[in-house]
Amino acid sequence: MSRMNKLALAAATAITVVGAAGAAHAEKIKIGITQNNVGVDSYQTTYEKAFIAAAAKNPDVETVVLDAGGDVARQIGQMQDLIQQKVDVIIIWPTDGKAVVPVVRKAHQAGIPVVVTNSNIAADGMDFIAAFSGPNNIQQGASAAELMCEALGNKGEIVQISGQPGYTTAIERQKGFEDQLAKSCPDVKILETQPGDWNREKAQRVMEAFLVKYNKIDGVYSGDDNMGVGALNAAKAANRAKDIKFVGATNFAVGYEAMERGEYYGSIYQSPVDDAEAALATAIAVKAGKQVPKLNYFETPKITKANMDKFTKPVF
Amino acid sequence: MDKAATDGWSVRQILAQQGILIAFVLAMLVFGLFSDRFLAFDNIMAVLRQTGIVGVMAIGVTIVVIGGNLDLSVGSMLSMATVLVVDLHDRIGPGPAILIMFCAVLAAGAINGVLVGYLRLNSLIVTLGMLSALQGITLIYTDGKNVDIANQSDTWFAIFGRGDIAGIPTPIVMFFGVAVLGHVLLTRMPFGRKVYATGGNPRTAVYSGIRRGRIVFLTYLISAFTVGCSALILGSRVMGSQNNVGQGYELLVLSAVILGGTSLLGGSGNILKTVIGVLILGFIQNGLLLLGFPYYAQWLVTWVVIILTVWLDVASKRHSLWSPIA
Repeated sequence: MSRMNKLALAAATAITVVGAAGAAHAEKIKIGITQNNVGVDSYQTTYEKAFIAAAAKNPDVETVVLDAGGDVARQIGQMQDLIQQKVDVIIIWPTDGKAVVPVVRKAHQAGIPVVVTNSNIAADGMDFIAAFSGPNNIQQGASAAELMCEALGNKGEIVQISGQPGYTTAIERQKGFEDQLAKSCPDVKILETQPGDWNREKAQRVMEAFLVKYNKIDGVYSGDDNMGVGALNAAKAANRAKDIKFVGATNFAVGYEAMERGEYYGSIYQSPVDDAEAALATAIAVKAGKQVPKLNYFETPKITKANMDKFTKPVF
Repeated sequence: MDKAATDGWSVRQILAQQGILIAFVLAMLVFGLFSDRFLAFDNIMAVLRQTGIVGVMAIGVTIVVIGGNLDLSVGSMLSMATVLVVDLHDRIGPGPAILIMFCAVLAAGAINGVLVGYLRLNSLIVTLGMLSALQGITLIYTDGKNVDIANQSDTWFAIFGRGDIAGIPTPIVMFFGVAVLGHVLLTRMPFGRKVYATGGNPRTAVYSGIRRGRIVFLTYLISAFTVGCSALILGSRVMGSQNNVGQGYELLVLSAVILGGTSLLGGSGNILKTVIGVLILGFIQNGLLLLGFPYYAQWLVTWVVIILTVWLDVASKRHSLWSPIA
């Protein structure tokens, strides 16, 4: 394993050295990126393609694109390598928000600005980064709450199926939803919350129990549409889907299709292409010395049957 | 034979042999007392439907464990099988998709079987390796994408997870059908005796002319076959799949097998008691949800119930709550 790592590092170094030599005369910005785990899901796969395409369009940018394969040790190695190469900016998609803090600090001390993409690093690392760029999960939860209020006419009883317990994304989507729901429509009550672990089958099982337990359920809020469609499956089997409005916090292809069929009320659209382009733009702005806010969120709009023709079907 | 067993069908004997069954009935009554919905007909049917997935696999794994080995690869084998059958459903139709899925799981089972049975490698290592290998294959196959069946309302594939056979939900029919088949196989067929013999004392088994390698090989094929059946239920129930859908199922299945009193050392065990083990786990999970326990408390309570069940089972066998030689 470690030999593989070294080989990969050596190869990456060689490529950039050649690249740098060819372009030495032009004042190019050299941006290094170390991603979390490309290939594990289509969001990350699409993100990488979009990042490379966006960088290729900009003649002033030169990139070193690395992938940690989900391994935090490898990511730390890649960070050290990027520091050695003296790239102008480092973009990191943390494999582990806490474990990468020391190496991010090292880059900061070496005078290389670090931009965190997609999922933020732990709070004690915030001093060492130039900026964060990614989706605002609290806002996604809050927007979903507004959709729920709208779907129910500000009154009703709902259940919540949250993501994997302990994951920041899951916690933030739940918090954003609950806070906004209390503000926008206090007459919509959450009967119960149980996790669906980002797993459609688990969500289906949880919903089956909810359907037995509660005679009246007006809405279901899920941490993403994958789980939401699991809940929809359960409600359809119990012949209660028509009485229930389904809202998700991130739109998936299955949710998009269920929305087309009129079975799913709405969700929040999060595009990996926007995510990648925002990260690159933030990195360029940081290098140019512009005043960049610490937290940069790209837009994640609401999607319902009414406006879905403006969005392409998600790739995941 | 202990003393109680010679007394005929005394209450003590029933207590001694059916500790797990008593624990199951007790657990049902306790949950029924606290939640009026728990013992409702529709809830019981819903839980039985849900447990079919774990249940069918647990039958296969019980046979592997009685034969003296472990199978930890069933979870990721389930992921691979479900992803395959769901993804191929829309491309080549349900029939061929099911056929290819069964070929794939049987191939994986055969590799387990050859490595453990004929090459005599440690089953823990072999199947743990198979767990990662199959997870990797599934990730490469899906490229991380979720797979779905587009037209969910007009496919006969719906029968496995959502349909009924003679008014009984198909997952329940499959679970109990496979359990009865497995029970007959183990108790009424020469193959069954050979599995017990191989697991109980491999050396004696070989000296008595049993082809140990072949028996072990076949137990892994059976286990893989049951995974295929579970994948039919899961894929049809969800009408979609994701690459980690079976993650953690290996431990759930193994817990059910151990709850049923099957010895991890091999040579002893009973499929009907595995069925009760599966039901206990399924009903605990459902009961805790109905009572509205917070998520982490559910793990804790599940552990307590499992310990109590195993304790009751052991205590009823030795006729005392405490071990005399502790």
